[in-house]
Amino acid sequence: MALNADLSHLPTRRRLTNAVTRYVVALGGAAVIGAIALIFFYLLWVAIPIMAGAEIEPGQRLSLPVGTPLLLEANETGEIGLRIDSSGQAIFFSLNDGSIVDRVTLASSVERVKRVLPHSSMYAVQSPQSGIVIYESRHPVTFDNDVRQIRPELNAVFPDTWIDVDPGADFDVHFADFEVLVVAVTGTNLQIQHFRDAEAGFELYEPRRANLSLERVYERVIIGPRGAWVYLVADDGSVAVLDLQRPTSPRQIFVGKLVAEGSSLNALEPLLGRYSLLAGNDKGQVTQWFMVPGEFGYTLERARTFKLDRAITRLIAEQRRKGFGAVDAEGRFHLLYTTSSRVLADRRLDSNRFSVASIAPRANMLLTGDESGDVTTYRIHNEHPEISWSALWSKIWYEGYPEPVYSWQSSSADNDFEAKFSLTPLLFGTLKAAFYAMVFAVPIAIMGAIYTAYFMAPAMRRIVKPGVEIMAALPTVILGFLAGLWLAPLIEANLAGVIGSILALPVGILLTAVLWGRLPEKVTGRFDGWYGIFILPTIILTVVAGFGLGPWIESVFFGGNTRGWFLNELGLAYDQRNALVVGLAMGLAVIPTIFSITEDAIYGVPTHLINGSLALGATPWQTLVRVVILTASPGIFSAVMIGLGRAVGETMIVLMATGNTPVMDMNLFEGMRTFAANIAVELPESEVGSTHYRILFLTALVLFMITFVFNTAAEVVRQRLRSRYGNL
Amino acid sequence: MIHSDRDSLRAWFRSGELWIWANAAAVGISIIAIVGILILLAARGFSHFWPADIQLMTYRDDGDRTAVALGEIADSETLSVQQFVESVGGSGRAVPEGLDEVERLLVKTGNRRYDPPDFTWIFTHKIDAVSFPDDATVFERMEWGNAYGYLRAVGGPQETVSDPALLWDTFGNLMERAAGLRASIEDIERGVLNEINFGMEKVRLERRSIELGGLDVDQAATAMQELDERDLDLEKRYESAEQELRSLYRELQRDYVRVELATGQVIEMRLAEIVRAWRPNQMSALDKLWHYLESFSLFLSEQPREANTEGGIFPAIFGTVLMVLLMSVLVTPFGVIAAVYLREYARQGAFVRLIRIAVNNLAGVPSIVYGVFGLGFFVYFLGGNLDQLFFPEALPAPTFGTPGLMWASLTLALLTVPVVVVSTEEGLTRIPRAIREGSLALGATKAETLFKVVLPMASPSILTGVILAVARAAGEVAPLMLVGVVKLAPTLPLDGNFPYLHLERKFMHLGFHIYDVGFQSPNVEAARPLVYATALLLVLIIIILNLAAIMLRSRLEDRYRGVE
Repeated sequence: MALNADLSHLPTRRRLTNAVTRYVVALGGAAVIGAIALIFFYLLWVAIPIMAGAEIEPGQRLSLPVGTPLLLEANETGEIGLRIDSSGQAIFFSLNDGSIVDRVTLASSVERVKRVLPHSSMYAVQSPQSGIVIYESRHPVTFDNDVRQIRPELNAVFPDTWIDVDPGADFDVHFADFEVLVVAVTGTNLQIQHFRDAEAGFELYEPRRANLSLERVYERVIIGPRGAWVYLVADDGSVAVLDLQRPTSPRQIFVGKLVAEGSSLNALEPLLGRYSLLAGNDKGQVTQWFMVPGEFGYTLERARTFKLDRAITRLIAEQRRKGFGAVDAEGRFHLLYTTSSRVLADRRLDSNRFSVASIAPRANMLLTGDESGDVTTYRIHNEHPEISWSALWSKIWYEGYPEPVYSWQSSSADNDFEAKFSLTPLLFGTLKAAFYAMVFAVPIAIMGAIYTAYFMAPAMRRIVKPGVEIMAALPTVILGFLAGLWLAPLIEANLAGVIGSILALPVGILLTAVLWGRLPEKVTGRFDGWYGIFILPTIILTVVAGFGLGPWIESVFFGGNTRGWFLNELGLAYDQRNALVVGLAMGLAVIPTIFSITEDAIYGVPTHLINGSLALGATPWQTLVRVVILTASPGIFSAVMIGLGRAVGETMIVLMATGNTPVMDMNLFEGMRTFAANIAVELPESEVGSTHYRILFLTALVLFMITFVFNTAAEVVRQRLRSRYGNL
Repeated sequence: MIHSDRDSLRAWFRSGELWIWANAAAVGISIIAIVGILILLAARGFSHFWPADIQLMTYRDDGDRTAVALGEIADSETLSVQQFVESVGGSGRAVPEGLDEVERLLVKTGNRRYDPPDFTWIFTHKIDAVSFPDDATVFERMEWGNAYGYLRAVGGPQETVSDPALLWDTFGNLMERAAGLRASIEDIERGVLNEINFGMEKVRLERRSIELGGLDVDQAATAMQELDERDLDLEKRYESAEQELRSLYRELQRDYVRVELATGQVIEMRLAEIVRAWRPNQMSALDKLWHYLESFSLFLSEQPREANTEGGIFPAIFGTVLMVLLMSVLVTPFGVIAAVYLREYARQGAFVRLIRIAVNNLAGVPSIVYGVFGLGFFVYFLGGNLDQLFFPEALPAPTFGTPGLMWASLTLALLTVPVVVVSTEEGLTRIPRAIREGSLALGATKAETLFKVVLPMASPSILTGVILAVARAAGEVAPLMLVGVVKLAPTLPLDGNFPYLHLERKFMHLGFHIYDVGFQSPNVEAARPLVYATALLLVLIIIILNLAAIMLRSRLEDRYRGVE
């Protein structure tokens, strides 16, 4: 067009408008690319932090009064520390500057301090004089003249209650559901005390007790999840597990060893929730063990091993996640995570000689306390250790599972739940749904398009084509709703009828074709392009006949119970909302897309090619198969690609027409969970910035990329095709 | 045609005739699927409002005890004898000789709260008697669904009418009174009270923003005093409104009806509990038609009740329309500019090919991905920052940093850009080159040609694109679930309080309504007819929009045939 015309003679305003329009329009064109790039990069930007590692930075060295610390803890916000030392002093101090906020004298001397599970701020303090007393720390916030202040307190949970255990015993305390369980071990003696009706603020009374003589000496005792069992561990790595179903009559259910022959147990620590024990040995290995149900009851199995370079001296568990830290003989601190088997970061600590260490509740700080009582802190940035690229796609051995599995289970009511983020079942579900949809849609759409473009009378085509295209506009929520509430129960009740219809249809078509051939050509010749109409009664009749024969088919072939037959004979379970329903409904949703593009491609095949073929004596059918379809095949390919892209990303139909259970089974009669449905179900409830949230963004990104590949391939092929038609 | 059997059969196969038929069958299946879906929706959706006759059935239940049921037939099903024996747990499983199939009816007996199962399955071969009592009445209740029974008495504090001759008329008059009271109550609740609450919230926010600083001490004190006065004034108005409301409620509670259920139990209902009542067995076809139309218009204009399973869908229609309008305002310029660039300004080359790939990808990216992007980028990123900048007084409660109308419109605008681009481009392609060149030859600049000649000529195709975009957006649900749709919005996004259009509010949507009521509601069986009606409405809207687009497009084709 009139490019670079000389506009200098025009008034400034007109020239300006012209130039501005040019830039605005160009900007608008670029904005389309900008939009698609923005979507991609934003999704990536949200998802990428889950792949990042962790960092450990030096914090502060705080000087505190002299005392041998037995417990060192940070509060929720990481502002206030609590140190309990062997002289019975509890000191609250500022983690910013080490200044003392408060001190409480608990006893004249303290032997051991243990955390009371499953609480994060409850401690059992054992002193030789008074036995075990349970304390809870609180950090209420007050505003004095708008200045935020934390006034920590440490109070006895059960006032005037002292729980006696043998001096020098190792013990563990569990308090939940109004029951307190105290288990202590000294040498071969196991002592269990069980208090019922325990309520914070009241005395504990009348424990039921059990004293047991063990077969050998154990040094450590750890109560298992919810007090269901107790682990006894000896210094040489021997372990016994007792069932505490009835706390007063424990039953030994397992004995074994936590370390291999020739290595020694250097460190032992239970993981959050206490399903797992972590054992560190002198060869630099950390092993994770948990109880696994098997054929002959529970056994303690080694689920995974982390290999570090030097002997492990200490293990420190995180308080809210299944992560932990390991300190080696050189004083190097390693940050690890069990579920994802990740070794995230390490750092040499300032001092190797500390007597206590802990990780803050939010896992953002490491505290170590040396023998003189001074405290050193380290800042930890470790937001998303739960997953890694390989953990997202491979089998993982989760706590309590008999073997490694693919599993997606993102949340639960329990705090100590191990989130299961395997994308494989979701990818499988996505592909399964798309596969069944395509199996149904591709033949119908392409064959229908062939007929419409090549054989159909123009008068009929003018109605059929927009008609099918209107189907593309049908909201998927309506297809999903009909599939879930109408089709699914219908198929469930008439499964044999559906099978009958599918079998009857080809027979019906064959009969119609044969009958039509028998009619005099004078009659049929006039209706050449109208087969689409004449076949309608056949289809309706065969479907009706198929459904009508359903009960008969059911009783003759399937022993009167089709679903039962599939289950018993082929092992195929039946869900009401299953892949068959999804395949049909989603097939209907993609038929118009594939139909429309294929039809355009076939209709666009230059007529001189067709005429040439016909003139050489080929029948219309031969021309179609050898010339038309071949020429239009790139168009058909791109139609299938675009249809596939739609099927992969379709949300509402899958959401409504399947049970949304993330199972991995190609069974036509079971449901699935797809990426898209998973996002729709879980994203509204996901906490912003959490690992779960980012993984959902990652799945959106995966969906984006899958469809991007399909759509781009389709578009490139179409652009090629366009230029080829131009040349023909 | 067929002479020697085997040869001709082979020839016939080779002719492809069978395959042609198979292809025709594929078209046939598609046609049947579309038409079937539309018929199914229409049949179920339209029939919901028809006042069905009420049957009184005496039948024997699973344990072969005699029972009565009063209600309308909702569904029927044929079972094989085997299925029948399996489904009946009790002693009533004996099947009459010679019967190999049994039919059962799903009877809606209503009366939830009085007579537990809302729906009952009754086998036809176990029905002893059926009658259509003249005075059987349907009471549509505010809660708990329909009640079926006989009106026995109606009254207020002074007098009770139980004379059958006067009963129905008296009841009608009292119902009218109750309806009037209800309307006044709604006026106050949705009008004055809503306005006062809005005012109070505004005062609270202004007070907070003064606290956050910016003013010196004296100014702050004056401003605070002024706010205190406004607050006091609002409180006074609130009290008087509430007093009025209380007296209206007391009035509404005055009258009651006594209804005898099929079981013989007599219950008392306040008129306040009853929405409407009718006696279908006495109605003529014309009455029924009138009732039908009335029900339909109530369905379109009423608020939903009972967790959306009863009442109307007005807020959902309103929300859908408003969202779609905003979306078209946003999408039209963007789509048109992009199309103009592709057709009028860009030099054909790699960059244009890239744009086309981008447009195709915008069209092909799953809608849920737009939802995820909208939630992350628009809501949390843009919205969160807007809140920090402009609405610090409301924090930590988010204003724009939470899903809402604006973000939903914006997300859908992005999603529908390709529709507008493709349609506009098509229109621009049709405009003959000669027309543009004519304009340029007469001395117009390129921009002037664009605005005065090209765009006006392409306007019908732009409109087609916008209509198609609207149709697409109206049916889209998945992204909306993430960026602003809720099952029940307390207020409409458009009301009488300044600034009238509340872009930050959440809204209801027809498509989401279908999903929510059909799949998340506690009583799916009772809600199902309503879902069909909603689905039908949505499909009608979308088909009408699409037909309009198709017609516009074909008219356009005719128009340019002349130009060429």
